[in-house]
Amino acid sequence: MTDVVLERQFAAPIEKVFDYISSPEKVLVWWGPESVTVRNADLNFGQVGPWTSEMHAKDGTIFKVSGEVTEVDPPHSVIFTWAWHDDTDVRGHESQVQIVLAKQGGGTNFTLIHRNLASDESAQSHTAGWTSSIGRLEAEF
Amino acid sequence: MTGNLSRAFSALGDRTRFAIVDQLLRDGEKSAGEIVDSVSLSAPAVSRHLKVLHSAGVLDRRVARQKRLYTVRPDMIRAINRWTMDHQAFWSSALDRLEQALNKDGLDD
Repeated sequence: MTDVVLERQFAAPIEKVFDYISSPEKVLVWWGPESVTVRNADLNFGQVGPWTSEMHAKDGTIFKVSGEVTEVDPPHSVIFTWAWHDDTDVRGHESQVQIVLAKQGGGTNFTLIHRNLASDESAQSHTAGWTSSIGRLEAEF
Repeated sequence: MTGNLSRAFSALGDRTRFAIVDQLLRDGEKSAGEIVDSVSLSAPAVSRHLKVLHSAGVLDRRVARQKRLYTVRPDMIRAINRWTMDHQAFWSSALDRLEQALNKDGLDD
């Protein structure tokens, strides 16, 4: 089991950042890795309830991920569960995502914690490339 | 793929083999002889390492003018990449775009 933690400082005020992480149409703007098209998405992190999204890669591979929003505390935090679907649409191992915002001056401290990830999860779920990182890795070499 | 990957990682777990693959990734195709020259080991020892890497699917081998030429298999690189493409990369890419969107929105105000 592993956790992923990302911290960012955004210049925007906390209310605006919260709007971008909780309004479905604004989440769509940034959701997912590079070079995938998001479809059939219901990304309402502003209220408790189910969410879902599909990411279509250029090679035609579809990545589906869904979960349940379990906690919303505007404009401070959102918590939701997360699980990839396999080719037969069966949900795999469930992990939890928590986004925490804190006011800092005129800006916002943004923390994202993705907890309880299965250590072999990426091997099982990312059966086709997130093309953005292929380039990055190949550049490394 | 997962089984193949664990074989690849196990083959790469040896320092000499890792160095050989690293070198091939940087320099491209090399003959067994050139590889022997670059590591301080005997030809039979290098040959054994190359055999392990080849059977683990890490290296491609072809014979040209009585030389055995080795390269790293690109599909193996991609497989390793997919395996390491984790949630860190997913989120970090998404958050880059979130930041861009926030900045752009700020200019429009």
